[in-house]
Amino acid sequence: MAGTGKAHLRNGEALLRVEDLVVQFPVGRTGLVVNAVSGISLDVLKGETLGLVGESGCGKSTTGRAIMQLPRPNSGSVQFEGKELTAMAGDEMREARTRMQMIFQDPVSSLNPRRKVRDIVMEPLTIWDRGTKADRSKLVDRVLEEVGIDPQRASESQPHQFSGGQCQRISIARSLVLDPSLIICDEPVSALDVSVQAQVLNLLEDLKARYGLTMIFIAHDLAVVKNISDRVAVMYLGKICEVARSDDLYHEPAHHYTNVLLQSIPVPDPDVAVQRRAIEGEPPSPVLPPSGCRFHTRCPAAAARCSAEEPQLREIGDGHFVACHYPVHGGEAPVTVRSSGTAA
Amino acid sequence: MSNITQAGTRDVEGPLLELVDVKTHFKTHRGLVRAVDGVSFSLDRGKALGIVGESGSGKTILSRSIMGLLPSKGTIREGSIRFEGKEIGNLDRKQMRGIWGREMAMIFQDPMTSLNPLMKIGRQIAEPLRIHLGMDRAGAWQTAERLLQDVRISEASRRLNQYPHELSGGMRQRVMIAIAMACGPTLLFADEPTTALDVTVQAQILDLLNDQREERNMSLILVTHDLGVVAGHTDEIAVMYGGKLVEKAPTKVLFARMKMPYTEALMQSIPKIDDPSHTRLLAIGGRPPDLVHPPLGCRFAPRCLYARDKCQTEEPPLVQAEDPAHSYACWYPVGSAEYHEAKARLAETPVTVGGRG
Amino acid sequence: MTAIITAPDHEVPATTELIAPKISRYKRMFPTVGVLLSWMFLLTLTFMAVFADYLPFIRSTQTVVKASGRSGVRFGFGPGFTAWFGTDTLGKDVFAKCIYGARVTLFVGVLATIIGLTIGGILGLAAGYFRGWVDRVVSILTDCLLALPPLLLAIILVFRLDDLKAKWSWISWLDRRWQITLTLGILAIAPLARIVRAQTLSLREREFVLAARSLGAKNGRIVVREILPNLIPTMMTVAFTGLGILIAAEGALAFLGLSVEIPTPTWGKLIDDNKNKIDVAWWAEIFPSLMLFLTVLAFSVIGDRLSRRFDIREAGV
Repeated sequence: MAGTGKAHLRNGEALLRVEDLVVQFPVGRTGLVVNAVSGISLDVLKGETLGLVGESGCGKSTTGRAIMQLPRPNSGSVQFEGKELTAMAGDEMREARTRMQMIFQDPVSSLNPRRKVRDIVMEPLTIWDRGTKADRSKLVDRVLEEVGIDPQRASESQPHQFSGGQCQRISIARSLVLDPSLIICDEPVSALDVSVQAQVLNLLEDLKARYGLTMIFIAHDLAVVKNISDRVAVMYLGKICEVARSDDLYHEPAHHYTNVLLQSIPVPDPDVAVQRRAIEGEPPSPVLPPSGCRFHTRCPAAAARCSAEEPQLREIGDGHFVACHYPVHGGEAPVTVRSSGTAA
Repeated sequence: MSNITQAGTRDVEGPLLELVDVKTHFKTHRGLVRAVDGVSFSLDRGKALGIVGESGSGKTILSRSIMGLLPSKGTIREGSIRFEGKEIGNLDRKQMRGIWGREMAMIFQDPMTSLNPLMKIGRQIAEPLRIHLGMDRAGAWQTAERLLQDVRISEASRRLNQYPHELSGGMRQRVMIAIAMACGPTLLFADEPTTALDVTVQAQILDLLNDQREERNMSLILVTHDLGVVAGHTDEIAVMYGGKLVEKAPTKVLFARMKMPYTEALMQSIPKIDDPSHTRLLAIGGRPPDLVHPPLGCRFAPRCLYARDKCQTEEPPLVQAEDPAHSYACWYPVGSAEYHEAKARLAETPVTVGGRG
Repeated sequence: MTAIITAPDHEVPATTELIAPKISRYKRMFPTVGVLLSWMFLLTLTFMAVFADYLPFIRSTQTVVKASGRSGVRFGFGPGFTAWFGTDTLGKDVFAKCIYGARVTLFVGVLATIIGLTIGGILGLAAGYFRGWVDRVVSILTDCLLALPPLLLAIILVFRLDDLKAKWSWISWLDRRWQITLTLGILAIAPLARIVRAQTLSLREREFVLAARSLGAKNGRIVVREILPNLIPTMMTVAFTGLGILIAAEGALAFLGLSVEIPTPTWGKLIDDNKNKIDVAWWAEIFPSLMLFLTVLAFSVIGDRLSRRFDIREAGV
């Protein structure tokens, strides 16, 4: 199977290194599969924030969950802190999971509606029986204060008594008490009002600095992703299109799909907004993904080669990688001898 | 404001929709919730108005109040709502039924929960046509197909026989728009129509709404929390805060010369793609006011960076700006001497980590 | 005002709550008159049934009522001061029989519900949570139970067990009361398992379950701490509604002759005994029927109340 390449992986110590990750879901009992993630590779250095961006159904959330091994990927390797997660099982796996935490999109659904907020935040410590009761209490109160939730109120209230933004803060607090090294944020702000969104983004930046966290930030809004990330990977239909430092990605988008995403961001400026025109259509079904470059069905620059041969990630600038035969800049891809066929 | 008189059957003079001091209060166990507290504005035919505000600003309640979609029990409605010259503020549900669909229609945020999961798309579009316009089965089905083509759904005839779960989120929202437009309403409410959708699809849906509005000379009220969404797709914008209208202006005027610090703060909280990464966002601290016990003076004062003593005690009235179509409610608007003074003072004390977040 | 964020804030009541105040909080806090009456009725009935032997106004079901020289034999007394619900053909007090009948009826109803809820709950929870082969096995089991004709099961468990009891001493403790309880309990398993399974299926997809797993919680902990608390409202609601149905079913079985040993009264038996005498003495037929009707109604009203109460809280979640 033709992957999208690993040219963008860096040598040396990465906190997380994902190679050729494949995740498929069966469609009922039809025998068909949804190709949610089709062989992607990523690496995240310590202290870095990697943004994963793409439309819904591009596999970005699935990637995040597959890294946590929830559910386990069909194939590929996930190395975290030097250990291979896909080979782990049982208690070893449970232990390893505590080193990485996840924050979900729906702040309300991610908290058990029938428990007190303070108990929810305390739960990880109870599961692992960390410290004495007094230690736990102190730690939970401190973390709650850090995310801006009154511990007193948290001990008396259930999640539904808090607003969406506050619930997201509670989720963040819960993910921090085990002192993880990696946090995977799965669309943490897309359900929030813009004003609350800014609060949560700022909070994440503060906590990242304070706790020395490494983050994977998954979102569909490129403006949000760019704001918080050091490096951004653009995904489309289970493949990576482009990887670059976030400022480079905006200044010199190379993949046509990145361009589309940039164009779609609503700009709070009436003069700019009227000139824009949205891309037509929606992503094809991941059950039967297009041959060659998966974006060729919607790409404004698609040529014959695009439907026949799958592009590989290649470097077109310092730390800037693109998987496109005819990128916006960076020159045409050299013709490879490898035949591609349909990737599945 | 120009009065565009629509050609055709409806040629009543004056604005399509006129609100005077509309109040919507709810009786709850905690006391009276002043969800909408004295809102006045008018909307011309064929124009698009954006109502912008945070959760709890009353924007959704206002639009439902106009539509008459609120429960009569425990709701107190005051003020005048005139639609095509007729007073509709005091009509009950039964009387409103004649207006829904044919005169006013609404699309909601979540197209999955607004569509009946057990009914084919075609039937869901054809049903209102048969009820409201008395079409026969075949005619309604044909119109439904044409409507689906209008909202740019490919293979319209096949889609008619599909169920909502077979369509993507963007498609479902298109179907909702088709249903809303089936009986040719003069006013369409879109309540956060794109919040649940991807950015790429969001742009498509907003363009579609705009095109349909122009084609059908329909008015549009776009309710959203995101100033970015309304920027390119409305003629006018009304900003709501704490149940009140705090600023209203033609879109271009608003973005060029916003007066209300709240509008400015909403603008600043949006991450800009042009800013380098890790630019600190200027979030609005605190939370929206308690609508049972709203602040005494300006409702935004407790969160406003430029608030002074007067703001805490006296409520600012809605006043006109240089542009006659532009009005705002603020004692020390953006650009005033006091505003600059306060801003200079803030610049000296750097924002501490977490201080404004 | 996104619908995704429906959690009401302390400071700002969520708009969703304002838009759909189907029941005001006032009504939620204070039960309606119907619910209050239902509770009163059930509690009084239970109290009287439990302490029937010690309460002075409840006669023994064995003594013939006699007052001011008249005997109650052959429906001697109509409803009145002497015998509140009148007397039956043997001259026994119908009121007393109704109260003693409640003993059996409530015992059977409550225990059958507990059996159904425990077994059905565990099966449903396991099926919904673990999916896979567990789900398939449970599905087959519940399908079999549903396919079983209820009457056949009742006949087997009541009459066949009588024979077996004589043969095997280890089940001799089973009296008819237990046999009927078992019958109804088994019949309740399948529907309850299905309800719990469906609820568990939707709960396990919620992100807080995923979050718990990512925190390293084991399955047992997730089930007990995360899923079960969210199932309890549904189970309570179903239990109360189910209780009413099971009590009615007990009556129906008794009416068909599948009942406890003579002379213990049950409502169903009372209704059955006096069904042909309604033109002579309506009270002997009507009062037991009324008791059955009111009890079933009371359980349904409370069940309905509970479901609505929990629904609203769920709406915010």
